[in-house]
Amino acid sequence: MQREVGSLPLAPALRARLVAAGFQTAQELLETGPCGLSKEIGISKEEALEALQVVRQACHGEAARTAGASGATRKCTALELLEEEQAQGFIITFCSALDNILGGGVQLTKITEICGAPGVGKTQLCMQLAVDVQIPECFGGVAGEAVFIDTEGSFMVDRVVDIATACVQHCQLIAEAHQEEDHLKALETFSLESILSHIYYFRCRDYIELLAQVYLLPDFLSEHSKVRLVVVDGIAFPFRHDFEDLSLRTRLLNGLAQQLIIIANDHKSAVVLTNQMTTRIGQSQSTLVPALGESWGHAATVRLIFHWDNSQRLATLYKSPSQKESTIPYHITSHGFRDVQPPAVTQNAEDTEMNPRKRPRREEET
Amino acid sequence: MDWDQFDLNPKVIAALKKALQLYQDADHLTSQHQKLSLGCSVLDNLLKGGIPLVGITELAGESSAGKTQIGLQLCLCVQYPYKYGGLESGAVYICTEDVFPSKRLQQLIDQQHKLRADVPAEIIQKTKFGNSIFVEHAADLDTFHNCITRRISLLLTRGMVRLVVIDSIAALFRCEFGVSDSVMKARYLQTFGAQLHSLSTRFRTPIMCINQVTDAVSESEAAQCSCSVVDNRVSPALGITWANQLLMRLMVSRTSQPEQASGVASHHTGSVRTLRVVFAPHLPPSSCYYTVKLEGVKGIK
Repeated sequence: MQREVGSLPLAPALRARLVAAGFQTAQELLETGPCGLSKEIGISKEEALEALQVVRQACHGEAARTAGASGATRKCTALELLEEEQAQGFIITFCSALDNILGGGVQLTKITEICGAPGVGKTQLCMQLAVDVQIPECFGGVAGEAVFIDTEGSFMVDRVVDIATACVQHCQLIAEAHQEEDHLKALETFSLESILSHIYYFRCRDYIELLAQVYLLPDFLSEHSKVRLVVVDGIAFPFRHDFEDLSLRTRLLNGLAQQLIIIANDHKSAVVLTNQMTTRIGQSQSTLVPALGESWGHAATVRLIFHWDNSQRLATLYKSPSQKESTIPYHITSHGFRDVQPPAVTQNAEDTEMNPRKRPRREEET
Repeated sequence: MDWDQFDLNPKVIAALKKALQLYQDADHLTSQHQKLSLGCSVLDNLLKGGIPLVGITELAGESSAGKTQIGLQLCLCVQYPYKYGGLESGAVYICTEDVFPSKRLQQLIDQQHKLRADVPAEIIQKTKFGNSIFVEHAADLDTFHNCITRRISLLLTRGMVRLVVIDSIAALFRCEFGVSDSVMKARYLQTFGAQLHSLSTRFRTPIMCINQVTDAVSESEAAQCSCSVVDNRVSPALGITWANQLLMRLMVSRTSQPEQASGVASHHTGSVRTLRVVFAPHLPPSSCYYTVKLEGVKGIK
């Protein structure tokens, strides 16, 4: 109905007259009606009627086509959605505490945002996920490929090599312990070279390149259907300078978020973004908050905030539709993102924790 | 992989690289493995090769910790051939506070054969070190802005320099902005950071920014900079806005005498300093000791 007059299948002379008279869309033509049209352009009523019939047919055909395409948006019940979600895979992070608070790991078809101060481990987690998405299914992974879009230039291949080598060794240990055939077969194709060759790396130097890359990504993903993870490392960096008009920035970011949601849903992949922190100066104190403003906070489904507590790194699940807010400690070792080793529990404490229903024995005083 | 069968935008194809290609790239013009050496094997081991070629590296520390010395040493190291960890090109040294230490530079040039025993003497004699170091003085923000947008790009486009040292970035901001101008200051920092970043990416040139330190008010701030010594609670100046622009942060400090291992103190006159990696995407937080000698900065094993 919003088709431009210039694109309708009418005689060129008639089209030129319609445009000169100020008609822009097919909707306006249909609303005017044959009498009004003949008066405006100076054609006979029959010609106007014919023209409108042609316009109506053209619009109908288009509407029918879009209706046919939108037949693909099927109606489904919440039960079907639940089953689908439960069958959905998670990308594990090798830090079991983080996987637990996320409900199993980084979820496919959702956008996860990681915010944190510089040096706290955001890029490390992204590199870990780019390796972990490729773990074969028999080891509990999703056997997918990864796209890594880098805007800051912090993707250091040597570090990814360390993480990938540790991951392969981990899987080899599991295979040795279980000695099952499919484990050994999967290990044949799961090597350092194969991991590196399935991480597709894009470097974007400014926000225009980033926007172009994200808008062209669906074409790339339809050729590479095995991609299950898209990482954008540094979504804040290209947007935080050179923007005089902040409303333009908000519009661009919203468009970007919409595009990423479409990518996550259509291609069943997880989208992971990293964001910077900025200082918000309040009445009496200043706090660190995620950058890019309040409206960007709605873009991600799951939000993780990484921060320091003295010298311990902590991860807080700040926003999630299904998990509760909690904080866990984590470590970054030479092998990648890992748990913090819990301290050994003493014998006494264990006894009392064993059966909380038992009252501790007390000396009865008479 | 037959790219022609994909009806992709040619720019997307050109932009695409697989991580495997990055890893196996041995061409010194594009490889990530290529780094700028610091001229000392101990320091290079700490940094796994040296300074990365793309990105802003920061060197923060108290006064007289040795930051300018490391900056000068890098200006000389960059002029060696690729084989010896250099980039076969000159350097730009932007001074924002003091005059350029030309006497010290001359001393270092005269003693290069002693520092770089791994390089054959003919190469050292052939290289005219002083000719390829371009010194700029920029005492205020506008001069600095003009410098990085116009004057340096000229040198970089002609390939005459492949290192930019800014000594120091904090001096530009610490007197001109009061407490209420923090938004303005943040905007300047972000603009400069973005411009330096784009220069670094376009020309594959490391940018070394020297920064000052301020006292850390709370325990947590000090802990973030891995300052384990209780009375050494300082953190780099310019805050989180500047820290977001950096690829890598290094901190130098003077270590008090009793800290050294007993065998070390006897061999080295002059105080021992510590070079610490605060954060880097490819390095664990680690540190090493070094001293400043006549021939330059040398690490201690």
